[in-house]
Amino acid sequence: MPIAPPSREEHGLHTDMKTRVISGDLLRGGREASLTRWKKHRGRYVDWCIVGFCIMGAALVGITVLALASMATAELGNPAHLLEVALSSEVIHSILLTFAAGANAVLLLALFGTPLAYVLARAHPSRFKGVVESIVDIPLILPHTVAGLLVYLLFMRRGWLGAPLSGIGLAFEDAYPGTVVAMLFVASPFYVNTMREGFEKVPVHLENVARTLGAGTFTTFRTVTLPLSLRHMYNGAIFAWGRAIGEFAGVIMIAYYPFIISTLIYYSFTTDGIQTSRSIAFTVILVSLGVFYLLRRMTRCLGRHDDRV
Amino acid sequence: MIEFDRVSLTLGSFCLKDVSLNVGKGDYYFIIGPSGAGKTVLLEAIAGLHSPGSGRVLLRDEEITALPPEKRGVALVYQDYSLFPNMTVADNVSYGLRVRGMRKGEARTGVAGLLERFGIAHLADRYPGTLSGGEQQRVALARAVAVKPDILLLDEPLSALDPVTQERFIDDLRRLHREEGLTIVQVSHSRREAHLLATRVAVIIDGTLVDEEEAEVVLNTPRSREVASFVGIENILDGIVTANEDGHATVDAGGRTFEVVTEAAAGEAVTLCIRADDVVLVTGDERRSSARNTMAGRVVSVAENGPVAEVKVDCGVTLTAVLTRRSARDLALVPGIAVTLSVKATAIHVIG
Repeated sequence: MPIAPPSREEHGLHTDMKTRVISGDLLRGGREASLTRWKKHRGRYVDWCIVGFCIMGAALVGITVLALASMATAELGNPAHLLEVALSSEVIHSILLTFAAGANAVLLLALFGTPLAYVLARAHPSRFKGVVESIVDIPLILPHTVAGLLVYLLFMRRGWLGAPLSGIGLAFEDAYPGTVVAMLFVASPFYVNTMREGFEKVPVHLENVARTLGAGTFTTFRTVTLPLSLRHMYNGAIFAWGRAIGEFAGVIMIAYYPFIISTLIYYSFTTDGIQTSRSIAFTVILVSLGVFYLLRRMTRCLGRHDDRV
Repeated sequence: MIEFDRVSLTLGSFCLKDVSLNVGKGDYYFIIGPSGAGKTVLLEAIAGLHSPGSGRVLLRDEEITALPPEKRGVALVYQDYSLFPNMTVADNVSYGLRVRGMRKGEARTGVAGLLERFGIAHLADRYPGTLSGGEQQRVALARAVAVKPDILLLDEPLSALDPVTQERFIDDLRRLHREEGLTIVQVSHSRREAHLLATRVAVIIDGTLVDEEEAEVVLNTPRSREVASFVGIENILDGIVTANEDGHATVDAGGRTFEVVTEAAAGEAVTLCIRADDVVLVTGDERRSSARNTMAGRVVSVAENGPVAEVKVDCGVTLTAVLTRRSARDLALVPGIAVTLSVKATAIHVIG
């Protein structure tokens, strides 16, 4: 015996009623409630959670702003002295030396750190990989004086690497190479870790496809993986450079001379007093802000494809 | 063309166990299996992206187990297309030619015809991020074909496309296979695609190759119950052979007797596979059919699915029949009415 299914009309009626009930009571009711709440605050809804977070954050930012302001008022009050110090050959030379040594360290990092970052990004998790990753991070967790001592002991004239290298005429103690190698040591985790993150973001599938299309491992790296990680490479280089040019304790042990900017500020603080060192510091702040602003601007036109990977 | 000889490989928690298969020249070879069965890994192993822990891989009877992917002449298209986002469509397609040492300009003219053929010439200077799924798929396919591979590997090429684009793409693939004589290995979990395209099918479940035959054979007369349910045979019944006379056997399955053609002797447990479109339905109680298995039952449910209607009938055991929607309506099939159901003895596939 055939059992009649519910007719279309009946079915339609039921669902219609259901929708009406839902939209009529529940939705409209909810909207009214939120409207009254809206009105209570005279048209402005205040999210107290975010307000609280902002106040706490402002305390932190405030310290930086206050410190800069206190230095700036003092310095701008005596522009003649500031200009005299800023344009002294000692300061200019030191700033250039610091920036150049930092750039040199970053170049070496790009050369040796990029392959390391790639291998770490693609290696399967293993105890060995974990150990290597920890070694890469060591400069991050060490006190800077310890890092400086480590570099000194290895590269001093009688050190394991310093002795043979001074034999071929490469001296590190109180010399430019010493500055570079100390900067390289302390900045390396910043570059390697950022670069590794970049490589990890490039899907292995892209490399696989390139391989099957006839590209060898290095061609694949050069044409696919590296171009897609350019932005990370750039950011890593900026991080590392920033870290390198700010180094003090790591550098002075192996290369007190030539004066990098941190050493110069500390030297003039202990010998000439607060006024000169403050002027040098203020000059460095201005120059660094300018340079980092330029570098950040340049990121915009770089590696736009990263986002789509 | 390419042969796996007892290949095993472990990849993290996943492993392929003792897989042997043989892809012939000009085959449209399907590897089907449920999700997570290891189909993609198998495909990547063919491409040479994973090296097997044991076993041998042969290409044209030459051992290539340790040959890197770039030397195998095998192109791979992934499910997610994997277009190079830092290159334009034209540069993507000509990539294979450029890494083989062709100049950029030369390579671009070299692939112009290909772009035309795949209907993506107007996209040549666009970047992949701005393309639709169907367009990306065509670019990925053109890029793979551009290097004139011996074997084209496709990893679920249709699953991310909408139904209309899927149909068009199936046509594209069929044309590519027929006109170019290309050997294609495609991974899929869709039985429908296998029915439409495959000449040969391998079924892989849990890292093990459970069946490998001509497409017709695997899809219609599978070798095991597992495969039968995976390839979508609607009626699978377990039973016991009660008598066998010269290959004409009687099988008792769930209280019903079926006449089947099999070599299985009396007392043996067998599995019966009946495709839903081999089940014929008539209304009422008439027994006019010449088929050997005729039984009365009642309709349990009718589900319309596009142009067909799937009808479940309870006749001691529940069997599914497929009719056109038109004839289901003409017969006025609704749950509860009495029907007579018949199946030819030769339409029942018996797994011993």
